[in-house]
Amino acid sequence: MSSQPGRIGKARRRWAQVLRPYCYILPTFLFLILFTHWPILRTFYVSFFKWNMASPKMEFVGLANYAQAWKAPLFWQVLGNNLLFAAGTLPLTLAIALVLALLINQKIRGLALYRALLFYPTMIPMAAAAMIWLWILTPNYGLLNYYGKWLGLPDVHWLGHSTLALWALVLVGVWKRVGYYMVIYLAGLQVIPEHLHEAARIEGAGAWQRFWRVTFPLVSPTTFFVGVMAVIDAFQAIDQVYLMTGGGPGNATNLFIFYIYQNAFRFFDFGYGSAISAILFLILLGLTLLVFRTLHRKVHYA
Amino acid sequence: MRSRPGWALAVHVLLLMAALVMVVPLVWIVLTAFKERNEVFSQIPQWLPAHPTFKNFLGVLDAMPFWRYYWNTIVVAFGILAIQVVTITLAAYAFARMQFWGRDVLFVLLLVQLMIAPQSTVIQNYITVTRLGLLDTKLAIMAPYLASAFGTFLLRQTFKGIPKELEEAAALDGCGTLRFLLHVAIPLALPGYLAFGLVSLTFHWNEFFWPLVVTETTGSRTLTLGLGIFAQTAEGSADWTMLMAMTLMVIAVPLGAFLLFQRRFINSFMQSGLGG
Repeated sequence: MSSQPGRIGKARRRWAQVLRPYCYILPTFLFLILFTHWPILRTFYVSFFKWNMASPKMEFVGLANYAQAWKAPLFWQVLGNNLLFAAGTLPLTLAIALVLALLINQKIRGLALYRALLFYPTMIPMAAAAMIWLWILTPNYGLLNYYGKWLGLPDVHWLGHSTLALWALVLVGVWKRVGYYMVIYLAGLQVIPEHLHEAARIEGAGAWQRFWRVTFPLVSPTTFFVGVMAVIDAFQAIDQVYLMTGGGPGNATNLFIFYIYQNAFRFFDFGYGSAISAILFLILLGLTLLVFRTLHRKVHYA
Repeated sequence: MRSRPGWALAVHVLLLMAALVMVVPLVWIVLTAFKERNEVFSQIPQWLPAHPTFKNFLGVLDAMPFWRYYWNTIVVAFGILAIQVVTITLAAYAFARMQFWGRDVLFVLLLVQLMIAPQSTVIQNYITVTRLGLLDTKLAIMAPYLASAFGTFLLRQTFKGIPKELEEAAALDGCGTLRFLLHVAIPLALPGYLAFGLVSLTFHWNEFFWPLVVTETTGSRTLTLGLGIFAQTAEGSADWTMLMAMTLMVIAVPLGAFLLFQRRFINSFMQSGLGG
């Protein structure tokens, strides 16, 4: 009987042992559930309701919000814009980042400085990059138009042009992000063992062949990662749209997040906003899987 | 590659061209910021300011509560990091060194945060923040970021690498988990903390969209918002020199820190890629 308190103490201690790990992850999961898991589920849930300024009480409407998107020409235009934006950004980013990384990875003196000069746009806010390019792209007094005219091009109102505006945003996106992806590629290149290049050289492979037969396959996990990231980036682009074009001219540069922003925070239509958020969520999931599957066959896991 | 001199020169020339494309815009705005207001309206761009002036920078300080924005940005960025350090340390320790029921499932649930685009849940997070009564506060800007899958993942790798014997020896010396963390695990993981800290600070210093959604007054607005709002006022949109001065004031500190510690920053961002 005298051991009773001890036994209780032991049981309590055992329970403390079992619960301890959960206490450690509790703060993380509290925030994670509140701001990651719950909003995903809740976005899908709200997307089945009518919930806007006109009807502030949530009212179940089934798939009506999705039908509204399906029938809205603007929805399809936004989707098209964003796909074009991604299709423009992805290959440019991949190609330029890889070429720059290959150049910097050469064993030549004095290349470290270039790494910093190419990387610095990663450090500045997109809002600041937007201001810089707003000034450079401006008609009449902008730097780009001046040197364009020098080359015999007409004075272009880049951000006011119905097709060029989107490409101006592509340009800003690539300028801002390519240094970051270059650094990711550098990390990928640096783990390729030197002896593989040596072996290929001894076999008589030229630089071009060595790139396609050795470097490119071995760096493919990085290409996969950069590809997925660039696509997700393209569908998350908002700062530059908000600050440089406001989605215009017309809706020529209206991208997905801006469209969500307009519907939810300017027209206060949370139901429809949630439906298009859910669609975006599924698109990103789908694209990630698609990029994964296309690249998977070529990906070489060392 | 054993380089011939011709190849080395070609590499330098190519990289120099690429570097110029990146750097010229920055040089151009720096020079613009020191010009007189009407000097920029010329058909032929003048690179150097005719009468270099600080008027634009002083004008920015008059036109808006610049230092208020600055303070808010510091509180938000460092506040997020301070809380993240606590949450990721505890979670990483549990996931790296403890056995518990449901651990692997919970870890996957944590990694979901890396896979979803935060922008796609912005409406719901706005509603949550509103219901918590946090709308238009600095805490609202910070709230969605207080747990970090990336940070937890990064630290877990390091914590896993600490030999079991070390922890057992520490336990024999009467050293509890907390003291083990403080005296052994955290010091060993310092490079990981540094990498995570630099990436986190940069990201939150630069953020624009989420603060735009959840703030309404200067009391909670950050620098990037101040810049965006100024650009859309009549004053800001008509005066390129002042707008560029403000842009320069916004990027000066992150850029300066980068120039001083560029290797640290670049390595940190490299790790952020490998972690994801």
